[in-house]
Amino acid sequence: MIEWSESQLMIRDAVRRFVEAEIAPHVEELEHGDLPPYDILRKMYAAFGMDEMARARFAKQIEAEKSGAMRKLRSDSEGDAEARADQAAASLIPIIELCRYCPGMVTALGVSVGLTASAILSKGTIEQKERWGLDILTLEKIGAWAITEPGSGSDAFGGMRASARREGDEFVLNGSKTFITNGPFADTTVFICKLEENDVDLRDRRILNFVLDRGMPGFEQSAPLRKMGMHSSPTGELFVTDVRVGMDRLLGGEKALGKTGGGREGAKGTFQTERSGVAAMALGIVDRCLELSLKYARERVQFGRPIGEYQLIQDKLARMEVARMNLQNLVFRTIELSARGKTMTFAEASAMKLYAARAAVEVAMEAVQVYGGNGYMSEYVVEQFARDAKVLQIYAGTDEIQIRAIAKDLLRG
Amino acid sequence: MKVMVCLKQVPHQDARLDVNSDGTWIQEDNIKFEINSYDTYAIEEALRLKDAGDAEVVVVSIGPDRVTQALRTALGMGADRAVHVNDAAAQGADALGTAKILAAVAKEEGADVIFTGLMADDDNASAIPPMVAELLDMPSATGVTATEISEASIKVERELEGGALEVVELPKPCLIAIQTGANQVRYASLKGIMQAKKKPVDVKTLADLGVADSAGHAHNKATINKISVPAKGDTAEILEGSTDEIVTQLVGKIKELGLL
Ligand SMILES: Cc1cc2nc3c(=O)[nH]c(=O)nc-3n(C[C@H](O)[C@H](O)[C@H](O)COP(=O)(O)OP(=O)(O)OC[C@H]3O[C@@H](n4cnc5c(N)ncnc54)[C@H](O)[C@@H]3O)c2cc1C
Repeated sequence: MIEWSESQLMIRDAVRRFVEAEIAPHVEELEHGDLPPYDILRKMYAAFGMDEMARARFAKQIEAEKSGAMRKLRSDSEGDAEARADQAAASLIPIIELCRYCPGMVTALGVSVGLTASAILSKGTIEQKERWGLDILTLEKIGAWAITEPGSGSDAFGGMRASARREGDEFVLNGSKTFITNGPFADTTVFICKLEENDVDLRDRRILNFVLDRGMPGFEQSAPLRKMGMHSSPTGELFVTDVRVGMDRLLGGEKALGKTGGGREGAKGTFQTERSGVAAMALGIVDRCLELSLKYARERVQFGRPIGEYQLIQDKLARMEVARMNLQNLVFRTIELSARGKTMTFAEASAMKLYAARAAVEVAMEAVQVYGGNGYMSEYVVEQFARDAKVLQIYAGTDEIQIRAIAKDLLRG
Repeated sequence: MKVMVCLKQVPHQDARLDVNSDGTWIQEDNIKFEINSYDTYAIEEALRLKDAGDAEVVVVSIGPDRVTQALRTALGMGADRAVHVNDAAAQGADALGTAKILAAVAKEEGADVIFTGLMADDDNASAIPPMVAELLDMPSATGVTATEISEASIKVERELEGGALEVVELPKPCLIAIQTGANQVRYASLKGIMQAKKKPVDVKTLADLGVADSAGHAHNKATINKISVPAKGDTAEILEGSTDEIVTQLVGKIKELGLL
């Protein structure tokens, strides 16, 4: 894939029109007020039939699983390569377009339908998928995915203390989670913890995923935490105190207790999708920052000339364009791989995420510089992108953790 | 029931417009185009008929290759088929010529209802809809803000001067020119866009439609001699003072001119 196709451009134009009409006028309330992003996201899903598409795909998957024909579904369902490319593009283009105004909305959306629903769909039983998965995929309900704790971030599994104590057919859950996207508002939370096994070292205990509903006794969801950026994505803490659940809330049910790999398998797949989404987010941020910077470079006059005529400003614009081209090519590669039914290696996804996050931060900071004092003021928007972009280097694995993954892969040879 | 929607692709509202070298139209190269805003409401109105029953919606546009994009967008929104009149002779046709082409398509299609926008964002002429209706000997209504369809007729609300509404009933076949704001225009769904490229687009020439001898720029009755950007004048008066003073002066001026 070397360029967007005609129908992909049509998708882009349609989504851009929606974003400019329905989101741009609310950016102030989303970013500097208390407006949660969910209703606008639901409106977008309805406007573009994304809820219907999710419902249809879900029905197909469940039907195939029930008839045990999963493999066949994968190989022939989504049709030809072009249809698969369109499908991949149709999921990435809204990310890019939303990020041109509100990267936080993508964070909230991505964690709900990307991480939470995916966890339920990949690990849950059919009953669990039907009970919780579909409503999250259609945005009827909002999901949160909770792995990080005050004492464990990069070392998510190793340092995790949240626990599940087995009592007959029930489990008693305890633990606290932090930095959880959608945590304050989630209807459905995937709570990741360790099975209490007295004879096993804490680091090596089996990882289990439980589904919690809002309002369950002992389950507390904090108010949104104040943070540097991504204000349109509510982030919170979760406190789980002696929450009693049955086997029906353990993703995968009884089987999850016997699986090899200690429940850590599958996490890599989740990280991988998350990482390719970050490239699309970075592209949206960079694209808009470049657009705004070009506009200002043409209009702003100092020393009798538009600042765009000064080479030091031109250098910034040219670097922004280089980043934009690179990111767009990475997004094209992601789409092309989907079209061919291939996936990126873990190391490649890490490399892409590392580059994308750094490029977005650099471009957004330079956009602030092009705008000078105005760049530092909220009215001119670029400061929002500078704050928002920074988190791309932190969540979904920090830069340092990506570097570790890339180097490990290289050195293994 | 067959519903035909006439749509025009016009320069995007944010496009930078320059006069072309011979001064008779704008420079069209490298500018973005979009569907005439009035026509988007016409498409929506047609799609509502389709949603409510078994209407086939055919969208029609006259113009060069770029027009395909407008037609595909309408197909993405839910229209079933498109007719693209792509013929160099049709470029720069006047209103009557354009109306003749559209009437020929309507006749060929056997349209029961024709929807158009009230006017086009670029030339604001409002001439074509009634002309098409006359050529087809059909009743028509313009400035329509609401429609209610029944077996043999359509009842419409029309906007009149001063905010009054007129209710008219037209027997089918008929033509309805829609006012902006008549409805809430849908977005093309993602699935719709992906399926749009598989929907049929019939490309026609003036000869195919049997109007090569009567329509097209060679047969224009009206020709554009010149278009230009108005010269900046010095007749503007800038009011100065505090907000209150400016408002008082402004109200005074309005009264002076007898506008209040
Ligand atoms: C806005 C936001 C939303 C989030 N949403 C969610 C969510 O929905 N669900 C969820 O579970 N979590 C979420 N997180 C948490 C996020 O995944 C973690 O913050 C991230 O993984 C880093 O963990 P940490 O904050 O504990 O930092 P730490 O792991 O303590 O890292 C501190 C520093 O040490 C470095 N470091 C750590 N280990 C190494 C090493 N081995 N080598 C070199 N350097 C190292 C890190 O790179 C970093 O620079 C979110 C975070 C933010 C900011």
